[in-house]
Amino acid sequence: MNGKQRIVLALSLGWLLLTAGSTALSAEPGQTKVADKSAILISSPSSPLVSFRFVFRVGSQDDPSGKEGLAALTTAMIAEGGTASLSYEQLLEKFYPMAATLDGACRKEATAFQGTVHRDNLKAYIPLVTELLTAPRFAPDDFKRLRNEALDYVTKTLRGNNDEELGKWTLQCDLYKGHPHGHPDRGTVQGLKAITLDDVKAFHKRYYTREALTLGMAGGFEPAAASQVESNLASLPRQAQGLPPLDPPAVRPGLEVTIVAKPAEATAISIGFPIDVTRRDEEFYALAVANSYLGEHRTFNGKLMQDLRGKRGLNYGDYSYIEDFIQEGMSTFQVPNNPRRQQYFSIWVRPVPRDKAAFALRAALWELDRLATEGMSPADFEATRSFLLNYSKLWVQTLSRRLGYAIDGQFYGRNDLVTELAERLRRLTVEQVNAAVRKHLKPPGMKIAIVARNADELRDILTSGKPSPITYDTQGTPENILAEDKQIAAFPLKNVTVKIVPVERMFEE
Amino acid sequence: MPRCLQFAAVIMLFTQVTAPAAGPGQAERQPIFPFPIQQTTLDNGLSVISVPFDSPGIIAYYTVVRTGSRNEVERGLSGFAHFFEHMMFRGTRKYSQEKYNDVLKSLGADSNAFTTDDWTCYHTTIPATALGTAVEIESDRFENLKYDESSFQKEARAVLGEYNKNASSPFLKLEEAMQNTAFTRHTYKHTTLGFLEDIKDMPNQFAYSKIFFDRWYRPENCTIVATGDVKHDELVSLVKAHYGSWARGKASVEIPTEPLQTEPRSAHVSWPVPTLPTLYLGYHMPASDPANPDIAALAAIEQAVFGETSPLSRELVLKEQKVVTLMAEASPHRDPGLFSIIARIRTSADLPAVRQRIADALAEAGRTPIDSARLDAVRSHLKYAYAASLRSADAVAHAVGESIAITGRPDAMNDLFAAFERLTPADPQRVAARYFIPTNETVIILETEKKK
Repeated sequence: MNGKQRIVLALSLGWLLLTAGSTALSAEPGQTKVADKSAILISSPSSPLVSFRFVFRVGSQDDPSGKEGLAALTTAMIAEGGTASLSYEQLLEKFYPMAATLDGACRKEATAFQGTVHRDNLKAYIPLVTELLTAPRFAPDDFKRLRNEALDYVTKTLRGNNDEELGKWTLQCDLYKGHPHGHPDRGTVQGLKAITLDDVKAFHKRYYTREALTLGMAGGFEPAAASQVESNLASLPRQAQGLPPLDPPAVRPGLEVTIVAKPAEATAISIGFPIDVTRRDEEFYALAVANSYLGEHRTFNGKLMQDLRGKRGLNYGDYSYIEDFIQEGMSTFQVPNNPRRQQYFSIWVRPVPRDKAAFALRAALWELDRLATEGMSPADFEATRSFLLNYSKLWVQTLSRRLGYAIDGQFYGRNDLVTELAERLRRLTVEQVNAAVRKHLKPPGMKIAIVARNADELRDILTSGKPSPITYDTQGTPENILAEDKQIAAFPLKNVTVKIVPVERMFEE
Repeated sequence: MPRCLQFAAVIMLFTQVTAPAAGPGQAERQPIFPFPIQQTTLDNGLSVISVPFDSPGIIAYYTVVRTGSRNEVERGLSGFAHFFEHMMFRGTRKYSQEKYNDVLKSLGADSNAFTTDDWTCYHTTIPATALGTAVEIESDRFENLKYDESSFQKEARAVLGEYNKNASSPFLKLEEAMQNTAFTRHTYKHTTLGFLEDIKDMPNQFAYSKIFFDRWYRPENCTIVATGDVKHDELVSLVKAHYGSWARGKASVEIPTEPLQTEPRSAHVSWPVPTLPTLYLGYHMPASDPANPDIAALAAIEQAVFGETSPLSRELVLKEQKVVTLMAEASPHRDPGLFSIIARIRTSADLPAVRQRIADALAEAGRTPIDSARLDAVRSHLKYAYAASLRSADAVAHAVGESIAITGRPDAMNDLFAAFERLTPADPQRVAARYFIPTNETVIILETEKKK
């Protein structure tokens, strides 16, 4: 069966069909065996919109050493740089009346291009986006503009305009030091400066292959449109590259703290450690329940949020994660198409006042320790499982997101996450959850990234072995909270090492 | 809820349906909003709106309060609308904060709130089967909110935390400087977060918080919007039962009118670590009344003069590469607000030249009618962008909620897009000559702090 026949069959079968090649991201190094073509089509005839996702199995993990940022710059050169037949300016003129775009995002192990267009404009949109992917223009002017943008992002935006992102990227770089995941996706300063336009062209030729691509379309389109997309992509090189090997990231016992020193009004904190669990594993779904209980992203359900913000007013929010998590726009939901072979657990403590930073760090570690030591109660387990079963259905409210989740399921050799949760959570027990927590969330060592003005003072506090009590400037803190505060203030910080890095040296190379 | 049901029996209802189809004689033009809007007003003034459409099993349930930082007229109490949004999650006698969260958790709801200059919005996305529960717990907190001073003070510090997280971006400082400089009397002078000194003082304002709730959390100031898998009759019946006894308010405040600006204004913001120099321009513009033709014309200028296919953007961003980002926004506001332009520039040396180029582009827009093909492209862009924005029950509820909040009507977007269709090439020229003049301009410049 050829690709065209497969797409027509998919549509005739109706809702969703995953074609052969569902092992695309699941193959291990040296065993890269993927189907020639893979496509996920979701037909919704009543929709006036058509969403596209083109997900390539290439990411910042493929950046050559010394050229960190090459994968992301190639993504930008495709999405924001015109085609062989149209300059970027001409392309924008074509896109503008349709209010259409092709947005590109390079992540660690995948690069996702997505766009949504009204079906009135489908015929005009398809040749533009397929030419962007197969025959990008790679003009020198666009290269200069987009490389400068990436440099501005790293040196100005990341270092100077958003302490929370700075903290999160510091944590990721520390967790994966000397590892393909160990630099910002947008690149390092020296890496970006070393990249040439020829590097971008070669990278595109090497990694943008049909085998590396999962194509997704959803919405009110006819079979002919899907066939057209497939046929336009035929000029991509066929065979995918093997995946770079990923060694297990090294973690030594104790707390390894990096304090990024900068003139910050408040103190941003990120805590994390690698976990050997992904959506591929049974235990992922057990950890998903425990994590939701501890700190579901941007909800008021989590213990971290209730205890640090709600009861103590320490900051704006506190959440936890069992995989790399990027929020989609203003929503509270995770972006799709950020699949990874290796994941990490993290806690995000949003900026706290300087004098409460050490206490807030201890409070977050204390909450995690309580979960790992005491486990979830049967009642909390039931409530959280019920929540996740319903809440996860909201993750796929739009056609584009359904498509994204379906593609991710394929990468992990699973159904989409929402379907997996619906099936697996019903069978899960509180004992399984607590066993997974004990096994994975009580590591010998953790890394901590802090962005702070008072780096030296904070280092002294964290390494002193002394308690860090909290002093409230608010009245009426209940006695039970004050009693807990004493435990938190003295929560042992074992084997602490602190490295202080001036912000202007971050992400340099 | 016998008390509510008893009261509901005597409630008078006023129901109207705003159909999406054009009437006789208007067949050539479909309204931009593609779904039918049904609206019922209860006797106590509470408006109930439903927008049913294909969203199987999911409802977005919004409570729109027509109060934002615009309403903060008392000195020293800026930021209170936003602070109060936080307090609304602190529980009632019947549903403590923990119990309220437990109910939401059991539903698997996505629930949160936000505040703007003009409105406060409480939004929840729920399974359609949970509508009754949502109406019950939401009505309870709007009518019976109860919190003590201790939790009030803790929440005040969470609000300070929100300020702190935003303060690591220079855009907060830019926005503060713009509003504080462009406005002298109107409450748009402060941002929605409020002046920092007022935020720090919030723990001391427990007594005022009771006044604030009593003043603004009243049925005639609120609208329930439910979209997706919802039936209007069922919604109205539930709302009548649960919100029917909510008493109207009496209080109102006078929001100062901003006097006409008569001279150029400016301010400078410095940033302690390296940042892209930024030019931020503001021009007073009218309130977003869709009946005012200037509103559609200014939106066309936003696109035609500053959009990514505009000559200015192509030259500054793509060819000369002096500017990293160029954007304009004719932001919808209930009272006269600002048309703003922002340019992030690669080096400070180019700031004066970029400022002059923007001034030249605006002057040219005031001298010359817009090319009609360009106007058609702008109209097409706005139409398809709007269609793509209505992608979920939540997005549809947001669109209707914003329309209610700004104009008092759920379907103002239809009038705005009809006004786009009526625009002639001379309209953008007319408004450019009227609004983009030096005596109506505020300039804020952000640069990296110079080392001493």
